[in-house]
Amino acid sequence: MVVLQLLASLLAVLALAWISRWLGLGGNVRIEDEDHARRIASESLFGFAAIDVALDRGGYSALVKDVTGRHALINVKGAHFVARYVYPPVEGRLDRAFLTIDLKEPDFDPVTLNLGEAAQYWASGLRHIPNA
Amino acid sequence: MRELPNPVDYAVPIFVLLIIFEMIWAKRKAPEKYEPKDTLSSLLFGFGSSVSGIAFGAASVAIAAVFAQHQLTQIPFAWWAWALCFVLDDLAYYVFHRAAHRVRWFWAAHVNHHSSQHYNLSTALRQTWTGFLAINFIFRLPLVLIGFPAEMLLFVGGINLIYQFWIHTEAIGRMPRWFEAVMNTPSHHRVHHAVNPRYLDRNYAGVFIIWDKMFGTFTSEVDDEPIRYGIVKQLGNFNLMWGVFHEWVGIGRDLIRAPFGSKLGYLLGPPGWSHDASRDTSDMIRARWQEQQND
Repeated sequence: MVVLQLLASLLAVLALAWISRWLGLGGNVRIEDEDHARRIASESLFGFAAIDVALDRGGYSALVKDVTGRHALINVKGAHFVARYVYPPVEGRLDRAFLTIDLKEPDFDPVTLNLGEAAQYWASGLRHIPNA
Repeated sequence: MRELPNPVDYAVPIFVLLIIFEMIWAKRKAPEKYEPKDTLSSLLFGFGSSVSGIAFGAASVAIAAVFAQHQLTQIPFAWWAWALCFVLDDLAYYVFHRAAHRVRWFWAAHVNHHSSQHYNLSTALRQTWTGFLAINFIFRLPLVLIGFPAEMLLFVGGINLIYQFWIHTEAIGRMPRWFEAVMNTPSHHRVHHAVNPRYLDRNYAGVFIIWDKMFGTFTSEVDDEPIRYGIVKQLGNFNLMWGVFHEWVGIGRDLIRAPFGSKLGYLLGPPGWSHDASRDTSDMIRARWQEQQND
């Protein structure tokens, strides 16, 4: 009886997840502009005041910096955004216009930002981030 | 022990139907209120919680039976006892829930319920897998010792859980004023799930919002401030296992790294507490926000 109940529950779980996909639910959010990135950083990191913003060309992610030199990384997650402080030592890989940042956090996959000509500037900035 | 049905078993089909109705509402009004990956994750949290409940159910009953041998009195299955049990059980829930937000040990199990950035009926089913290991049951044991039958407590606990399902929605604005005054509602519970600084650690109620009003933890929803849901440090992806165990992993790491005299703080202090103040507790975040408002 218990096994049957669990099987029925699992089927219901899968059916509901399928229905949510079938209905086309979910958001297609992007970071719209620098002000948007500043607002996300401020809200997500409770008062982070970004003075400089590097916006991924696709709007999927952004790198922001405050007046003390602290950096934070913003990334799209589903219909929302997630932000993390970037602490040294951070691994940043530069490939022409693309900067890949790996925070080495289990739930935060490496993020590749298309920053165009600004990629070099931000890559070098990562080497001077203050400690937590 | 008297055999009583588990009311949650009967409610599950209604839960499923209501989630489908809410999805259709979201499709018409705001598709971003649901996110398929988040929904699947939340529902699997619920499924795993059921499995965990079955796995540890016998142990829970055994513990209740041991405590039942030391009851002060034996309360009968009378109508007044059911009513009293429901109200006191809800008070015990308030105490548990407050501890679950203020003590990291209990938060490690409860964080699962809050780690979605969405707020919809599927979030209601986002339940912990580790509640038994966190010894959450201790908050109901005083009621066993007073004399309430364990099966009565399990039954009213189920009703309490069922009540809390429908309040996890943005599809309902506010209920009539008299209802909002006494009962927990979608509006009150949205506040509870919010990470806006003004709302952090507020509205712990299960069924009756009066407990928050009595104990000074009530805040009402402000209409002109959009709510952001989730936890202070949002999960970076939808990985189920990391979602379930991440706070326990964090506690383990902190216990290993912390200086000897600070270890207990990482276990029993509030979430976000650190010996060098390098992290933020909700009190610190709210104080900083309050300061900004005063400037």
